[in-house]
Amino acid sequence: MPHVLISSKKCTGCHMCELACSAYHEGAYRPSVTRLFSEVNPTLGTTKGHTCLQTGCAKCQQVCPNDAIVTKQVTVTPKGAFASKEKLGESVTGYILVVDEAKCTNCGECYAACPTGVIHEHPDRHVAFKCDLCDGDPQCIAFCQNPYVLAVDLKLDKADKALVVS
Amino acid sequence: MHLSRGIRFRDKGGIVDFYRGQVLRVDLSAGSVAVEPLNTEWAEKYVGGKGLLLRYLWQEVPPRVDPWAPDNPIILMTGPFAGTNVTTASRLVVGCKSPVTGIYNDSYVGGSFAPEIKFAGYDAIIITGQAAEPVVLTIADDTVDFVPAKPRYWGMRTSEIEMALRADFDRDVKVLSIGPAGEAEIPWACISTDQYHKAGRGGHGALMGRKGLKAIAVRGTGSVSVGDAQAFLADVLRMHTDYILTEDNLWANEEGTPFLAQVMSDAGVMPTLNWSTGSFDGIESINSDAMQKIKTKNRACYQCALGCRQWHDVGSVAGEGPEYETIAICGANCGIDDLEALLEFNHECDELGLDTISCGTVVALAMDLAAKGVKDFGLRFGQREGYVNAPELIVQRKGVGADLALGARALAAKCGRPDLAFEVKNLELPGYDPRGSFGMSLAYSTSDRGGCHMRSFPIVEEVVAGTLPPDSLQGKAEYNVVKQNFSSMKFSGIWCDFWAMDLNQIAQLMKHVWRREVSEEELAVVGERIWNVGRLFNLREGVEPDDLPVRLYAAEYAHTTGASAGRAIGSEVFREASAEYYRLRGWDDRGVPSEAKLTELGVDVRLPSVATIDLRER
Repeated sequence: MPHVLISSKKCTGCHMCELACSAYHEGAYRPSVTRLFSEVNPTLGTTKGHTCLQTGCAKCQQVCPNDAIVTKQVTVTPKGAFASKEKLGESVTGYILVVDEAKCTNCGECYAACPTGVIHEHPDRHVAFKCDLCDGDPQCIAFCQNPYVLAVDLKLDKADKALVVS
Repeated sequence: MHLSRGIRFRDKGGIVDFYRGQVLRVDLSAGSVAVEPLNTEWAEKYVGGKGLLLRYLWQEVPPRVDPWAPDNPIILMTGPFAGTNVTTASRLVVGCKSPVTGIYNDSYVGGSFAPEIKFAGYDAIIITGQAAEPVVLTIADDTVDFVPAKPRYWGMRTSEIEMALRADFDRDVKVLSIGPAGEAEIPWACISTDQYHKAGRGGHGALMGRKGLKAIAVRGTGSVSVGDAQAFLADVLRMHTDYILTEDNLWANEEGTPFLAQVMSDAGVMPTLNWSTGSFDGIESINSDAMQKIKTKNRACYQCALGCRQWHDVGSVAGEGPEYETIAICGANCGIDDLEALLEFNHECDELGLDTISCGTVVALAMDLAAKGVKDFGLRFGQREGYVNAPELIVQRKGVGADLALGARALAAKCGRPDLAFEVKNLELPGYDPRGSFGMSLAYSTSDRGGCHMRSFPIVEEVVAGTLPPDSLQGKAEYNVVKQNFSSMKFSGIWCDFWAMDLNQIAQLMKHVWRREVSEEELAVVGERIWNVGRLFNLREGVEPDDLPVRLYAAEYAHTTGASAGRAIGSEVFREASAEYYRLRGWDDRGVPSEAKLTELGVDVRLPSVATIDLRER
């Protein structure tokens, strides 16, 4: 299924993706409430990308006692360049996982289960929040546009490739 | 000693878009903190960054205060765009009355500290007083604590304290610190953040050391509002495409500032062997091509799409840098063509918290004094021996280090050769010899913080682009006036020099802040307003006459070798251009702005008494 990956090797640690993510979803720049992040150690010059692998992982969905993590179809058309664009084309359609806030009780099962640490309690709404690929317009990719960097990439799971629409 | 338990502040949130609306005031003597509203009248008039820093300094610095006194504040100022997607605008400006120059000093630094202050809820931090025992200040949103710096943190090198504070408090904490150089109050001790980013110039680190403030660790979880976030995101994305990620700007990522090394040496602009020539024979060992061979990756400041930082690895040392200034002043100016030695010297300066421009200048001076048979400090042009260990000796004031720690002006004077010190207003000069780029002479002599290339940089036109003649001062007074005004506006954003923007692009961004159409003309006025407040501040505190080391302009000191050989500005031409600069500024022959000029610009401060202004003896 379509998901975003940050190349830890290419990432310069600029945090543009987190800023764009938070502004798009929260209406203000608030990178402490971001749906993906690069773990940067500026002293050592290291970065490690943390993103949601969507249905390719689905640990949150498996552990949710309230069926609050639901599968949703989405067509993703990122603005600008990304490393896999040549392979995937302008647009891909597939399935992602989103939070049904009406069902979420903030029990925290998924927070503990998530292997990449990208599903959390929202500090204001007190329900889980996670990456929804910005409804098909991922801001993290749009803001990682340095042609020498292009660290934030769109990926597809093998099983999902049949769904690719160009 | 636990000075103060966490003090809870009322979170006012983003009361004004782009600003957080709060200033954190830290009194190290009392061990207390307070929060006060941002002066929004000043914010509108002076934007942020340099402008707002100057306005606060005018208010906060007691006139003619001893810069080492507890009353002399250190102010950390952010800009309205810190903590947004606007490229390069993550910069922090650190300001004080410099203990080195005795005048205004602003030092800019990238990394991630300024955005984190904003996310914690503040536009600025004003630090006054002096701690009885050294402390580390921790800020987690509205919880502020003083933590004893001894025994754990005091003495740590800059990379050590960053790692330690992240381990002790929060993985995501952002650290601003001094190294052993700041603790020892070395005149060119700098302030570090994200290890490789330095508020380098003017001795802020020494003043922070005097205040007993080892480090500030900040974590912010709040937000920076920008009005309609979706619209703002779209507009910023458009500007990135149109103006940032263009052919013209990608040099930053490819090569970064080292690209200048070969260009400057070829143009006879590279200070070499303590400014005795403008081209370096060993340049190919330390130019960008040499750096590319040891480059392993790029790094970026927070919210920067350019990512100009070059990570180099030679086995014995690895890290970011050296940047051009270090290549020029610690490399060519010391005759060092040993890349590994240069990286080790740079690494030592980074870890100790020393400004490389001043440090390289002092070492080159010591080498020159030995070469001329004046005094032997065990340092020789081009020799690795002694060179790599010099920063450590300086910080310990051990052996020759005690003399070197005086700084270039005092060391040269002590040795009876004041003519060999390359500084303006006691701030050592960066890596551009005006004999190869005449416009730089005025840029240096009229800079508001002493020897600095950041306020106006005619090198771009005179050397890099070749659009203005490098061997003429014709029209350069006006050039410097316009560029200084522009930089004052730009550094209030705070945008980095590496976004080669213009007033039109600044206007496109400022309209989001001011919620109205913004003209280029009014932004130029803001810049000129800020520059004049800087001049008033310097006049109030006592400033030396605007001048330059005589070797850099007098006819008899023209280079005899290198690409700029035979070129000299000439004393009379330099004096005339300086006078023209004052006329264009609307300043009298002492550099005092006229009342008419101040009124025209809407400057809201005045000197106590214009008649009694005396320029300080050099």
